[in-house]
Amino acid sequence: MTGIRCAAAVLAGVVTLAAAPAAAQAETGALTLEVAPDRLTLAVGEKATLAATVRDASGAVVDDATVIYLSRARRSVGVTRAGEVEAYRPGEFTLVALVPADPGGGGRRPEARVRVEVPVTVPPPAAARVAFTDAPAKYYVGTRPRLAVEVVDVVGAVRTDIPVTFASADAGLAEVDGFGFLTLRAPGSVEITATAEGVSDRLAIEVETSPVTSLELRAGAPTALTGDVVRFTATARDARGLAVRGVPVRFAVGGGTAPGIIAAGAAAHVAEDGRFVAERSGLYTVVATTGRHSAASTISIGRRDVRREVEVVGRGRVLDRHTSDLWIWEGTDGRDYAITGTWGADGHAYIWDVTDPADIERLHEVKVDARTVNDVKVSEDGDIAVISREGASDRRNGIVVLGVGNPREGVPVLSEFTDQLTGGVHNVFIADDHVFALSAGRRYDVIDIEDPRNPRRVGRFELDTPGHSIHDVWVSDGVAFSSNWTDGIVAVDVGGGGRGGTPEQPVELGRYAYPSGWNHAAFPYRSRSTGKFYLFAGDEAFPYGGYSNQRGGSPSRAAGWIHVIDWSDWDHPQEVARYQVPEAGSHNLWIEDDVLYAAFYNGGLRVVDVSGELMGDLYRQGREIAMYVPADPDGYIANAPFVWGPQPHKGHIFFTDWNTGLWAVKLRERTGPGRIVGEPR
Amino acid sequence: MGAAAVAAGLLAGGAAPAELEASGRNYYVYVAAESDDEVSIVRYGPGGAEVVKTVAVGSYPAEVEGPHGVNVDPDGRHWYVSIAHGFPYGSVRKYETGTDAWVGDVTLGLFPATLDVSAPTGLLFAVNFNLHGPLEAGSISVVEVDTMAEVARVETGVRPHGGRLSRDGSAFYSVNMMDFELVELDAFTFEITRRLPLGDGVMPTWVTRPTPDGKVYVTGNNVARIFEIDLESWRIERTFETGAGPYNIDVSADGTRMAATYKNGDAVGFWDLERGEETARTPTSRTIPHGILVTPDAEFAFVTLEGAGADPGTVEIYRLATGERVGAVDVGKQAGGIAFWKQDD
Repeated sequence: MTGIRCAAAVLAGVVTLAAAPAAAQAETGALTLEVAPDRLTLAVGEKATLAATVRDASGAVVDDATVIYLSRARRSVGVTRAGEVEAYRPGEFTLVALVPADPGGGGRRPEARVRVEVPVTVPPPAAARVAFTDAPAKYYVGTRPRLAVEVVDVVGAVRTDIPVTFASADAGLAEVDGFGFLTLRAPGSVEITATAEGVSDRLAIEVETSPVTSLELRAGAPTALTGDVVRFTATARDARGLAVRGVPVRFAVGGGTAPGIIAAGAAAHVAEDGRFVAERSGLYTVVATTGRHSAASTISIGRRDVRREVEVVGRGRVLDRHTSDLWIWEGTDGRDYAITGTWGADGHAYIWDVTDPADIERLHEVKVDARTVNDVKVSEDGDIAVISREGASDRRNGIVVLGVGNPREGVPVLSEFTDQLTGGVHNVFIADDHVFALSAGRRYDVIDIEDPRNPRRVGRFELDTPGHSIHDVWVSDGVAFSSNWTDGIVAVDVGGGGRGGTPEQPVELGRYAYPSGWNHAAFPYRSRSTGKFYLFAGDEAFPYGGYSNQRGGSPSRAAGWIHVIDWSDWDHPQEVARYQVPEAGSHNLWIEDDVLYAAFYNGGLRVVDVSGELMGDLYRQGREIAMYVPADPDGYIANAPFVWGPQPHKGHIFFTDWNTGLWAVKLRERTGPGRIVGEPR
Repeated sequence: MGAAAVAAGLLAGGAAPAELEASGRNYYVYVAAESDDEVSIVRYGPGGAEVVKTVAVGSYPAEVEGPHGVNVDPDGRHWYVSIAHGFPYGSVRKYETGTDAWVGDVTLGLFPATLDVSAPTGLLFAVNFNLHGPLEAGSISVVEVDTMAEVARVETGVRPHGGRLSRDGSAFYSVNMMDFELVELDAFTFEITRRLPLGDGVMPTWVTRPTPDGKVYVTGNNVARIFEIDLESWRIERTFETGAGPYNIDVSADGTRMAATYKNGDAVGFWDLERGEETARTPTSRTIPHGILVTPDAEFAFVTLEGAGADPGTVEIYRLATGERVGAVDVGKQAGGIAFWKQDD
């Protein structure tokens, strides 16, 4: 018998009371548990020891009683089995000491435990130093530069929660406000002090008379449309008429929306570098200021009249199960085909002839051992398809390679590949005879299918961040873009990135993450109209709960949007725009000829003009060309639009809907101005 | 094997055995459907078996999150389900019995699977199976269920599964499928105290709660054997030849009877442990039997069947003494974890 069991035996027969509230002492009819000290205040890194005393009904100490110590925040404050406590992070935490209850009764319902809670306070570490960072090189009278500071605490962490105060040694020369903005009044030397929790840094600045004698402002265009990015260029000149560089220039915008647009809110904005974009038509004036000089320029913004109506051309109905992804391609026989997956069902993929989108014909169904075929992809030459498997009955999922060169003759299963992909393959991509297949949401494997009957793994890419996870991968021009939830988008050279990467040895090019951690899909795209390289990153999120995926269930509602990232420089990705549909959430997307096709789950199919430079909120700028929200009373979930993925093909837009299957729609020709929500007709 | 039974006729949704119809007794169990992200409450009693309620337990309608293990707090007031998949970590969710209202959850490791709750300490132990990752050490998470805080995580071995607590709550037993061993964890100090190799290459998938006389039973899934291990001597005392792929086991409260699912053999085996004989082996009505529980009164064994593809999962009910199937009801796809909730008369 172990010591622990001896201890438990000693406690046998003891009747305990309900869990005690936060206190240093708890007792039962037979036992009392006392813990000293009854609360702790520890600095980060400081240690202490708890001492527990268990007494029986007579008050005698039970020497060999079992006491278990727990921390409810073990990564912030730890406690050992002997009651030794160590603080790791600041905050308010709770330790628990408990004596196991007597299990001897034999019934299912146990007696309550004796338990004591010990509050632990770990104050935030004090500030160790504060320092000015990125101070401007020059300070000119009349300007309002902002001073930035960094606060570091005694354990070396950069802190943003410690208040910083600023002071000027001579407010007549330079005044500083609580945000660090300077108001520079007169030339001369002055010292600015930043203080945080008693530690300070000083910055000596030399305020100079501004050499600027005039300021010009020029708009990139006198007129534009909502959503157009117009660059306003401010030029400061000295007395000789020469341009002065390095003087801070600030921009602001005012003006008014077109008549008929009432209470539009912020209808336009201008960035710090002078780029301007409007969300509503109207007349706007941009003002540039430096010192006592200012200049203004007015621009007329018209409505972006891109709206078109959607016409349903044909359908490939799937009403008895959920439909997942799709791929449309031209077969080697010149006809057009589609492959669609199924979700939470019986492992089917369907092959369709979509040559006549008005008469979509289901040609074949391929059934594999799976419950979900989440993803389907076809090779560039239209000869090979790869489908993903999840929910295989033997828990060995992997991928299945299909021959789709001539679907009208048949779609043979050429091979399957499961090695080290057993946990489920959620998404795949085919590029240059290689399949990029996700494995259990942790990494992607690169599988050579040059011989499609004998796939073989040749490479692999996995992040090394704690708790990393991956959802999708898309390959374009030899660069793989994976979508990794909280780790964001990761660009990897697999043969075309210029940094020596190959499918066998991928080389990371860069990564970009955003705060929500919802990154689910990515589509790389080089703008036809600007040449800029954008990465469109889609979210997936269901924060509203209450969903249902069963037949007879109710519609679900998603959240999230498409993030537009200017990734012209691998080392400096910049998120510049968003496309966000109110009360709906993004899923898969496609971009072609400067038009974004986006699935927005309950928000349906969205078609968006992404021509030109992109900045700000594309939805509010009237860039949406079309929307279509499918519904069918006979759908797997009735009248529950849940658009999964779109793909344009030869003038039509094909998309899959989770509850109704495959759709083919097209945009009607414009016959006149379209209706734009938020703009007068 | 001993006397193998022929599959009994299924009393599909109809009457229960006459004595049960007469008694008015009902048994309630929770069943997790891994490919439908739901947990069902199944009642068996007069009128047969029926699903009385189904609770959706996922968060993402378009991602399969995989509820795997399910268990009920010894006090009967809450039930817990392990959610295998997250981004990337899985979790355990807590619900109130009766209302089935969500109470809380806690993120654990990769693929949390089997779980059990200690009556003496109120701590929940869950194995992080890490089923599909590389062959690296998995762990056992310890959760204080009052606050759903993970209070300890103990590295245990490769592919831990099948955890059950001792009756006094002092020890937690699990098996490491790819380390071929039984592991004993001190459930008070959270330290591994003993390891028992089961044989080179023997892949265990389950260990039972210890019997009153200190035995646990461990499946040798790939060798079609069940091992009886004496906890005091920490030795294998008996080995039973079983059907193909013994997967889950449960033992009657008095330790005299055992029932096991034969995952690869599509059957359930019923054992008399005093004689060490398989008294019945009954083919299941659907493929891939998974979970099993023996009712506290040792009258019945409830078995989950995963099925394949779009098959529904199924809960089958067998007489423990004879292996006769006496009831069945379909639940969500890939039914796996099963836990006894209550019995009423």
